[in-house]
Amino acid sequence: MSPRRPKNSAPQHIASYVVLAALCSIAAWLWVQQSSYNPAVLVALRPLPLKRQTPQSGPSAGQLHATARLIPELDGFLPRGGVETYGPDILSDKIDGKAELYLPAGFKEMSCRIFSHATTHIEMFVYEMLSDKAAFAVFSGQRRAGARASDVAAHAYATPNALFFASGVHYVEIVADKPDPTLQDTLETLARALLANTSAPAASAATKAPGASQAQGSLNSEAALFPKEGLAPDTLRLSAADVFGLQGFSHVFTAEYHVGDAQATAFIAIRASDADAAADSQRYLAFLTANGYMPILVESPPPFSHFLRLDASFEVIMTSGRVLAGVHDASSLPAAIALAARLAKEIQGKIP
Amino acid sequence: MRKTSDAASISPEVLQAMNRRDFLKRAGCAAALALTASGLGLALYDQAGPPAVAPESGKILAGLGDYSLPSLAGKTGKMAIIRGVDRGRMVERGIQALGGMDTFIQKGERVLIKVNAAFATPASLAATTHPETLAALVRLCFNAGAAQVLVTDNPINNPESCFEISGLAEATRAQGGRLVTPKAELFAPVRPAGAVLLKNWPALVGAFKDVNKVLIVSPVKDHHRAGASMTLKNLYGFLGGRRNVFHQDINAIMVELALLLKPTLCVLDGVTSMLSNGPTGGSFSDLKETNTMIVSTDPVAADAAGLELLDRPLHSVPYLRMAHEAGAGQIDYATLNPERSDTGA
Repeated sequence: MSPRRPKNSAPQHIASYVVLAALCSIAAWLWVQQSSYNPAVLVALRPLPLKRQTPQSGPSAGQLHATARLIPELDGFLPRGGVETYGPDILSDKIDGKAELYLPAGFKEMSCRIFSHATTHIEMFVYEMLSDKAAFAVFSGQRRAGARASDVAAHAYATPNALFFASGVHYVEIVADKPDPTLQDTLETLARALLANTSAPAASAATKAPGASQAQGSLNSEAALFPKEGLAPDTLRLSAADVFGLQGFSHVFTAEYHVGDAQATAFIAIRASDADAAADSQRYLAFLTANGYMPILVESPPPFSHFLRLDASFEVIMTSGRVLAGVHDASSLPAAIALAARLAKEIQGKIP
Repeated sequence: MRKTSDAASISPEVLQAMNRRDFLKRAGCAAALALTASGLGLALYDQAGPPAVAPESGKILAGLGDYSLPSLAGKTGKMAIIRGVDRGRMVERGIQALGGMDTFIQKGERVLIKVNAAFATPASLAATTHPETLAALVRLCFNAGAAQVLVTDNPINNPESCFEISGLAEATRAQGGRLVTPKAELFAPVRPAGAVLLKNWPALVGAFKDVNKVLIVSPVKDHHRAGASMTLKNLYGFLGGRRNVFHQDINAIMVELALLLKPTLCVLDGVTSMLSNGPTGGSFSDLKETNTMIVSTDPVAADAAGLELLDRPLHSVPYLRMAHEAGAGQIDYATLNPERSDTGA
C-alpha cells in the first residue's frame, strides 16, 4: 500500500495563502509601474545635441577655434567666464531667431565673451562668415539708421552703447549695457585689439572713401555701380535672401536715394551669366505682376527695362549683360525715371 | 487518530524514504518554477529601454493645462492698458483694474510664472523680462496668499547665466520666489490634439507639478523670424529638444504653442520696446520708451495690443490671426474694453 501524503495543517495553508497574496501584489505593482514609464528615460535616450565647445583662453590657446583666438585679453577688461564658440547647428542657442540672418548669408562660426570694465558689462561677438561679402551682408542688414560712422574699420558704425563693424570675413559686435558717450573709446580699444589679431588691415584715412560704406575689395563690383548722385549715406546693403519678399531672390545690393522730394531704393546684382540675370528679371517681373503691379509706358525708357506701378509705388527692372538692376518702391514716377536713367548709365557695359 | 494509526503502520525506514522523496519532488518543482521565472525575466529584460520617441500606446500629454479662470470660461477676456514709467506701479495698477490679484490667486495656491530669460544680457538691453516687472508680480502673488511662487524658463543657452545676468534670479530670490531651472528630468513629451509639429515633443512639464495658476510675463520685441516676440512667443520657452527646427514653420508652431497652454494672466511689458534687430537687439538705438504695460487674461489680445507699440500692422505677424482663428484668443483687443490708466511720469 503506497504511503499517504500527510495533509497540510491550517497554519501551513494560511502561510501559503499569504505568500501567494504577496506574490500577486508584487505582480500587480509591477504591472502598474511598467504601464507608466518615467519620462526622464525618454529624455535620457534622446540624441545628444551638438556639443558647444567652450574652450578657455590661455595655455590651451592652440586648441581654440579661429574666432576664439581673435578675442583679445586686455588690462582693465576682466573676463566674466570663458570664450563660447558656436557653429551653424547651435548658433540659435545663443542668438535664437537671429541665427536665420546669418545662416543663409554663409556663416562659419561665432565666438563671444563677456567682460567687465569698471562697472560696465561688455559683450563681444565675433562672427566668421564664408566671405567678405557675407560679412558685409550681415553688417549692412543690421545697420542702425542714424548711427555715427566709426573709423575702426572700412565698414563700421557706433551707437550710444555699441560698436558694429565688418572687416574681411569677420563681423563684430561690441555691446555695453549702458549708453555712455565716454564708452566709445573703450569699445574702440577692444575693437582695435581684435583687428590686430586678424590678418585684415584696419581702415585708414587714406583708404576710406567718402560715404563710408562704399565697398572695399571684392565688394567693389556691385557697390561701385551705384550712382553717387542722390545716394543717402550709409544705406548700401547686401541682402542674402528673399529680397523684396521674393523667395529665392538673393544676394542683391540695395541703396536708398533722395530724388528731388521723393525717395526710392536702387538695387543691383551681378549674376553668373546674362541668362541668369535675364531669368531673375523675369521672375521679379512675374512676382510684381502677381502682386498687382501693372506695366506702364514711359518716354525713352532705358534699354531692356520694364516700368510698373501699384497705386503710388513705382518699380523699374532692367538688365545689362550679367547685371540685374532697378528701382524699388519709388514714391513718384519722375523719381523712378530719373534714378533708372542714372542706373542704366552706370551699368551699361561695365561688367563683362 | 487515523493519522496516528496510519503513521504507526508505516516503518521508520519507509517514512524516511517518503519524506526524502517528497522533499526532492517539492524542491525540484520549486527549482523548476524559479528557473522558469528567471528565464522569463531574462527574456523580457530590455537593456536599451524604451525608444526615444514614445510609442503610440505610451503616456503623452495633450498639453500643459488650462489655468484660466473658470469664471471667465466662454466669456470675453479682461484687459488693462497702463501708461507710465514705474514698472512696479504699472503692474499693480493693471492687476487692480482687473479686480486685484486675489481675483486670480487664492490663498494657499502654487503659482508658476513664465518669464523670458532667453539671453544672458543685462536688463537694460530689454531682451528679457524686466526684473522689476517680475519682482512686482511675485510680490503681488504672495500678498494675495500664494503658498509658493515659482519662476521658470528654458533658455537653451546656459540657463544659470541667463537668469543671473538678466537680473531675474535676484528678483525672484529677493521676493521669496523659487527659480525652477530646466533640468532633464522635468521634461516629458507632449502632443496637443491636432498638432502637426509638436508630436511627442519634450516640454517642461515638471515645472507644472502641483501648480494652480500660471502667469506669463514678457517683453515687447521685434523678432527677425516671427515678426514679434511677446506673450505667445514666450511660450516657446516651455519646449525642450532642438526646438530651433520649428523656426522653419514659425507661424504654425506659434499657433500650436498658443493652444498648448491657457494661462491665468499675461503681463506684457512695453515700458521699453525693442523695435528692431530682435530678438537679441544689442543697441540702445533698437529700443524705444513706449511706456506701456498691458495686463490681460487673453494672450492673443495682449499681443495684438503690444503689436501697436512696435508700430506694426496685424498682417505683419501672421501667427496672431492664425491663433485667433484657432480659438486661442481675441485679436480685436478693443472688444475686451480695456481699462486704461496712467500712473504718471
